[in-house]
Amino acid sequence: MTETSHSEGSTPQTPGNGTGVGERGEPLGPVLKKPGAGGSWRRPFARNGGAGSREIHHLGLVAALVLLALVGVFTEPDNFATSGNVVGILALAATIGVITVGQTFVIIGGGIDLSVGSVMALASVWATTVATQSYGPAVMALCAILVGTGAGVVTGILISYGRLVPFIATLAMLVAARGLAQRMSDRKTQLVRPENDAIEALSTTKVLGLPLVVYIFAAVAVVGWLLLNRTTFGRRTFAVGGNPEAARLAGIDVRRHTLLLYALSGFCCGIAAIIIMARTTTGSSTHGDLYELDAIAAVIIGGTLLTGGRGTVVGSILGVLVFTLITNLFILNGLQTSDQLVAKGVIIVIAVLLQRRGLRSPT
Amino acid sequence: MGSPEPLLLMRGIVKEFPGVRALDGVDLDVRPGEVHCLLGQNGAGKSTLIKVLAGAHQPDQGEIVFAGAPVRLAGPTAAMRAGIATIYQELDLVDGLSVAENVFLGHERARLGFTRRAEAERAARDLLARLGHGEIPPRREVGRLPAAGKQVVSMARALSHDARLIVMDEPSAALAHDEVANLFRIIRELTSAGVAVVYISHRLEEIREIGDRVTVLKDGRSVAGGLPAQTTSTDEIVSLMTGRDVEYVFPERPEPEDDRPEVLRVEDLTLPGAFEDVSLTVRAGEIVGLAGLVGSGRSEILETVYGARRPARGRVLIDGRPVRPGDTGAAVRRGMGMAPEERKSQALLMNESVAGNVSVAGLSRYASFGWLSRRRELADVRRQIEALDIRPPDPRRPVVTLSGGNQQKVVLARWLLDPDGLRLLILDEPTRGVDVGARAELYAVIRQLAGRGIGVLLVSSEVPEVLGLADRVLVVREGRVVHTGDARDLDEGSVLNMIMEGSAL
Amino acid sequence: MRDQSPRPTRRGVLFGGAAVAAGTLAAACTSNSEKDPAPAAQAGSLAGDNDKPGKQVTIGFSAPAADHGWIAAIAKNAEAQAKKYKDVTFKPVEPTNDINQQISAVETLIRAKVNVLVILPNDGEQLNQVARKAMDAGIPVVNLDRVFPDKLSYRTWIGGDNYGMGVSAGNYIGKKLKDKGVSNPVIVEIQGIATLPLTQERTKGFEDALKTYGFSVTAKQDAKFTVESGNQVASNLLQAHKKIDALWNQDDDQGVGVLAAIKQSGRKEFFMVGGAGSANAMREIKSGGGVLEATVTYPPTMAASAIKLARLIAQGKGMADLVELQAPQSLTLASETVTKDNVDTYMPLGFES
Repeated sequence: MTETSHSEGSTPQTPGNGTGVGERGEPLGPVLKKPGAGGSWRRPFARNGGAGSREIHHLGLVAALVLLALVGVFTEPDNFATSGNVVGILALAATIGVITVGQTFVIIGGGIDLSVGSVMALASVWATTVATQSYGPAVMALCAILVGTGAGVVTGILISYGRLVPFIATLAMLVAARGLAQRMSDRKTQLVRPENDAIEALSTTKVLGLPLVVYIFAAVAVVGWLLLNRTTFGRRTFAVGGNPEAARLAGIDVRRHTLLLYALSGFCCGIAAIIIMARTTTGSSTHGDLYELDAIAAVIIGGTLLTGGRGTVVGSILGVLVFTLITNLFILNGLQTSDQLVAKGVIIVIAVLLQRRGLRSPT
Repeated sequence: MGSPEPLLLMRGIVKEFPGVRALDGVDLDVRPGEVHCLLGQNGAGKSTLIKVLAGAHQPDQGEIVFAGAPVRLAGPTAAMRAGIATIYQELDLVDGLSVAENVFLGHERARLGFTRRAEAERAARDLLARLGHGEIPPRREVGRLPAAGKQVVSMARALSHDARLIVMDEPSAALAHDEVANLFRIIRELTSAGVAVVYISHRLEEIREIGDRVTVLKDGRSVAGGLPAQTTSTDEIVSLMTGRDVEYVFPERPEPEDDRPEVLRVEDLTLPGAFEDVSLTVRAGEIVGLAGLVGSGRSEILETVYGARRPARGRVLIDGRPVRPGDTGAAVRRGMGMAPEERKSQALLMNESVAGNVSVAGLSRYASFGWLSRRRELADVRRQIEALDIRPPDPRRPVVTLSGGNQQKVVLARWLLDPDGLRLLILDEPTRGVDVGARAELYAVIRQLAGRGIGVLLVSSEVPEVLGLADRVLVVREGRVVHTGDARDLDEGSVLNMIMEGSAL
Repeated sequence: MRDQSPRPTRRGVLFGGAAVAAGTLAAACTSNSEKDPAPAAQAGSLAGDNDKPGKQVTIGFSAPAADHGWIAAIAKNAEAQAKKYKDVTFKPVEPTNDINQQISAVETLIRAKVNVLVILPNDGEQLNQVARKAMDAGIPVVNLDRVFPDKLSYRTWIGGDNYGMGVSAGNYIGKKLKDKGVSNPVIVEIQGIATLPLTQERTKGFEDALKTYGFSVTAKQDAKFTVESGNQVASNLLQAHKKIDALWNQDDDQGVGVLAAIKQSGRKEFFMVGGAGSANAMREIKSGGGVLEATVTYPPTMAASAIKLARLIAQGKGMADLVELQAPQSLTLASETVTKDNVDTYMPLGFES
């Protein structure tokens, strides 16, 4: 019975095959493309129930972006579709975007990181203290990364070896890192001193019309994508998040891997701290307020399963862009923040409903 | 038979699941005030039948008559309303609520939405007293009661529904000896009040003590109904349970070679509460089977050998060298591989493709500095798909869409990527959820692997499977190995006897 | 500075005045160039004998937690002022942003039977009840800045003028644009937290003042008093308006982010007015060359004045420059406009954000 009943529909419908993000999602596809027994070998590693649902989902986000862009073009024809505005949107998305890449790994790995915003704040404060600033911009950047990674390692240890629930451990880090940032800065905004304006230069220097912070964002996204889809680390992340017990019984050191995931998220927060320092020329304990919610929301509307085991970096970044675009559109049109919040809420719900539909009809 | 009007009458009950006919024509009649025992091997259909009675499953065919009228048990609430209460093996109590709150969960004593606590507590106290357990305080949190106490609460809940039929699924499994005596006292009180009890247990001695009549299930059918519990001989019951319609085809056993090297040696392995002082060996190319009931400690033994649990005492050696305890990573590096009991929750990555599932334990083989070569990975996976004849032969196919047998092959393939690396394969219920036709194929694969010099350690609830596949058999009862011997010297009846009663016939 | 004077009685501390904030001294000393600042806020001096030691009094103090430079300056100014008096025991309670905690903190002070209370409530409406309780218990309450709705709940109110702040900013911008002869100017406003009444008052004052020049606000957007939110809102607003004539940013704390966004956009065609009067903003105004030309004050030094008032009330004294024998019931501080011309005078009042 096995043979007949399972050979039908062996090629999952992929209506989006070869278009949009789906195509970009598999740049190495052609290398593996072989005329083989299984038919067309476009997607050798379907990652989920319906291999197509991921593309459908990304297509949905791309459609949302296009729709928002059209709204922008029609309502603000002079201001929206300008290179300046597009660059502005990308630069604005950079901070939260970098954090979201880290968050994507943590959530695919079956966890959640609530501490991202405050860890970024702490890293920015630590990197802008008088003492750190006296060593110059390179040390400031290194300091931000070390502080972020260090905080991630601490939460990671609490979760993997201390057996705390991720929600609790990262909630504790959220509160504690914010407090430490306030203590260190004495609740003051710490300006990046003029001699360290190389930090601000990341935001002001443009290469090919784009400020350096956008390149940092792009680099983090690309490296994140490669790490998730092309390395053992990424593959194990899916395993650990999808079925930790199975991963353990397959000989994967689940606890160490979990620790590394939170360290990675902290590392991303450190990079985000550098970007926020570049953009605002300050380190402050008020940076990154409620970033955890924005990052989680972006990951979720990007199609990553909150329970872990499935997700994409591309989706998360599309999610960030959708949110950034909404804010931009609303301000361009002179609408208040309260309306933006309503719009964001609606988008989250629609995205998750779409996601559930994708789940219900696997192949 | 049939002198008093039966309280429950089930006729020709059929229940099909995709690929499996779990119930294939079951008849059951239960009289008021009797203890009716259900017997059958694992997979005979007992739990499905219980779920039909509890309203959790809808039968595809057949009729149910309760108290003289045909009923349709559309859901758990309907069953309760009809007067059928079920006490599951894993008690469905809410630990954080009080005894009284648990008893009246779902049908709270309330007025205008406000619970009437005092009244509920009084009623709960009455019910508990009726069960001979007036000492259990109705306000105590259920999570703080011992197992026996929880069972009493479950029964009080059943009584609170004015149940006329109570189904008990292995109620004695979690109880100590004197607690079982108390359980029986309660059952007798219930039956003397006219309540009927459907009692499921593997322990023949209990059935003899408490039961009135016995129905035996086998392969989804009732093969005998209404046998007198006291007088029917063990031989007769065992033969009813064991006779098979479907003969499994087991691969031919090679002649034993005692000079083969020992792959696995387990010395005095102890995990308190699960098993004690287990010692065993597996030679290269040998299949060793563990037979025992669920809860006998057999699965825990496998898991501890594999490092998924940390033993309190004892050693595990592969090729004569000890393995770090409690570390599955170390076990894998030393050449162990495992196909766990719960394939879906313990082995498979349900979001992943076949390839992702096969390669997950050996990713480093395809990586240089963490960078995966998907080309080599795919080539190897395809080789395994071909070797094990996994169908459909498509590495990118989502693993959820495969049949049980092919899923199990995917799990096996996981350990075969490295042709020389695997020393010992640990299989816990390798054919669970695998349909009959595909079983023979799996047996052949397992034997073939052994032929390559791999040691196999196997657990199965199905005694014929252990006897047919293994070279040597260890019988486990209550955490101890009670018998070790050549599989050819044992038959199903004698093993069942050792499992259930501990005394060879 | 005057503080170093050997004769404390002649310090001539001014209302809304210069030398009160010891917390800001370090910064002030390094940057000041002129001695003896003469602030415009010369509402009157509490000179005379009032600073002489009198009856020993205990002043209870409760304020929100300092998550913002301005609030931080409030607490520091109050404490520094209290320390200057030998006859004052300063009893602050743990600052908090939680209404319930502030209520219980004030209750603690009532039970401790302090002589007088200085309260900057998180929310005037919600703390009204407990302030009333203190008054009923015979403890006079000096209400700082955010006002209690019930006049029986406080003895004296002292605070800034949010509406006046908007008016000052509106006047500066309106006059300047009028002088330049700009018609239909693009005027952009970056607000603070939109839900706060003070934000709405500031915006109202700004709009009303602009109206007198025949101008109106082209676009306004709310930020959250944080550097980052200021940066984000400003970045987007700059995209929305290709040419801006004037920009008012209500809060100098978030202004750091606004200025960074402007700098990174390379835009220079407009001028900007700040709000509150942080040291940062004043330094920026002083150095010149940037878009920030002026800021309108909302001085946290009011906390120091509140302590002085509280002491006078507890000791039963009046304000020396007034005829009355008791301290007044209400004092609204003027919002002043700091520009390059008078920035040195105000520099010592600037708070570090």
